[in-house]
This record gives sequence, structure tokens and C-alpha cells, in this order.
Amino acid sequence: MFPPASAYALNRLLFSLKSDPAFRDRYVADAQQVMDEAGLDAPARGALAGFDRDRLVALGAHPYLVFMAQLRLAMAREPGTFEEF
Amino acid sequence: MPLVAAFACAHTPQLLIRPPSEDRALVLRVHAAFAEVKRRLVAARPDVICIVGGDHIEGFFLNAVPALAVFVGRRAAGEFGRYRYAFDVHEPLARAVVEQGIEAGFDLAYSQDLPLDYAFYVPLHFTMPEPAVPIVPLYVNVYLPPQPTPRRCYAWGRTLRTILDARPERVALMVSGGLSHFPGTDRYSSPDYEFDRALLASLAEGRGAETERLTGAELDKAGNVELRTWITLLGAVGNARADVICYEPSWHHGNAVVAWPV
Repeated sequence: MFPPASAYALNRLLFSLKSDPAFRDRYVADAQQVMDEAGLDAPARGALAGFDRDRLVALGAHPYLVFMAQLRLAMAREPGTFEEF
Repeated sequence: MPLVAAFACAHTPQLLIRPPSEDRALVLRVHAAFAEVKRRLVAARPDVICIVGGDHIEGFFLNAVPALAVFVGRRAAGEFGRYRYAFDVHEPLARAVVEQGIEAGFDLAYSQDLPLDYAFYVPLHFTMPEPAVPIVPLYVNVYLPPQPTPRRCYAWGRTLRTILDARPERVALMVSGGLSHFPGTDRYSSPDYEFDRALLASLAEGRGAETERLTGAELDKAGNVELRTWITLLGAVGNARADVICYEPSWHHGNAVVAWPV
């Protein structure tokens, strides 16, 4: 089923990490500030800190959003490791 | 006039931006299959490519989740890493699809403002003819349950075919997605290759109509939630026998490229 409404802020942040390059850059620069602005509670912040997939999903994060947010962050941090066509 | 071409293409982002974990030779074999699709597309001389993709929570978020949607903006644009895409949209065809789809009883959503998902630009990166032809992006919800049923997707494909066949333009129908993969889950490294192979064998025999009877649970179990776009195409092509151009199973994804005679 779709994620619970209680996880909306968390899913919104993951969505922005995935889809918004400027947001992603701000998160890389200052994750705490970005999480403050997103209004995330302590469990969500803890799960995000280590990008703990199981904890994030247990909190209601959509697994695909977790997966792609992490991939996009990796691409932003280490662009040189990917081959483009 | 009748459809001039019909294809289904994998859209795995690793085909476009390859990480070290991805087998280079396999990726290049899928590229070769895309090149074959491009050759056939060029030969078919389409005026427009209608491309059906499953949104990866890119165009639509939890603020609004359409089961079926049509993009009717002027340009469809998206970005991935350093890639930037912008395609002209064939607005008269896009509008006709929405209007006639609704007349036919499908409660379509439409949008004039969406970022284009990689489901669309990965296949188009490799297959768009030069000069480029305009597109009409069509969306099927594949990732945010409850998704439209296979039965509904098949029926939509049938209606879509009727709409496209009646057009004056030469229309190519492309769908993207699949096959088996389990992103973001513990099954990421074990796709259901058996399901994929059995599916492709049945499509080669023209038994695509059987997909209409699949359930959402069966698609989930097989890592084939994205098959809904294929099922849409199968509604459009009926019992045409598929030409499986490639099936390249990577460690996490069954990459298939298929053509149908129209």
C-alpha cells in the first residue's frame, strides 16, 4: 500500500534529494539544517543519518525513494566513477 | 493511419550512466539492441513517438497520483547527472489522446508541467531518430500502490490503439520498463529471470493477451510492477508475435528489448 501519511515529510525530503539537484547540494553541505527545515522528527533524522534503509522503510519511507535518493547522492558525491554514453 | 511501429525497451538508468558494478559488455549488448530499434524506427518514418512509461515518483509524488496520465505540455524535459533532455511534444496528438480517451471511458489525468522521468529519456537517448520527432509521453502508475490493474492497462492499450490508428500521423508506439527487478528491496540481487523468460516466450507466440489476467500481486512477486506499460502495449498489438531483440539479465535487472509487427 502507499506510504502512511505520517511519513509524508520524510518521503518529501527523499523525493527532493532524488529529484532536486539544488536541494541535494544543500543537503550534502548541511544535512542538519535541511532536516530542520523539513521538520523531521528524531527517529527519521537518525535513520537518515546513516541512510539506514530498513529503518527508513519501517518509518514509512517508500523503498524506491530511499534507493534512488541514495543513488543520486552517490552520483553527486562521486561523479567520476560512472561511465556515460 | 495504422501504427507504424511498436517496441518495448528496458530503461535501466545504469544503461545510460554505468557504475563500475555494471557489466560493460552486457550494457553494450543492450545498446546494440537499442540500435536495432532505432534502425527500425528510422525505417518506419514516424511523425511522432507515443511513449508509455511508468513514473519513478519523478513527475508525480504523493501529492497527486494518477493511474493513467498524458503529458500535454509544449516540451518534455528532464535531467539525470550531466544529461539534459528536452523533447518537443506533439500537442495535437496528446490532446486527442486525452479527449478521446476520456470519451471512451478512461478517467485520464493530464499535465502541462512535469519533469520528464528517466523511463522516457533512457530509451529515447538510444532510439530517437535524427532529426528528432516529437513525442507524446503517456504515464502509467507503477510504483505507488494501488496501481491500475493489468486488466485496466490492457483495456487502455486497446483504446489507445483505436485512437492512434485513426490519426493522420504516422505513429510509433514505444513502452518502457521491466523486466524483473526489485529496486530498494532485499531481492535486488535476485530478479525472477524465469518469469521473464516464460513471459518473453509467450509473447513470441503471440499470447500477450494472457497478461491481462495477471494480478498486481503476481507482478509484485515477479519484480515486474513496470510490466503494466508492456501490458498497455499488448492491448494495442493484440496477438501479434513478438520479436525478442534481446534479453540481457544483469545481476539485478532483466533487460529486454522487443519489437512487434503492426
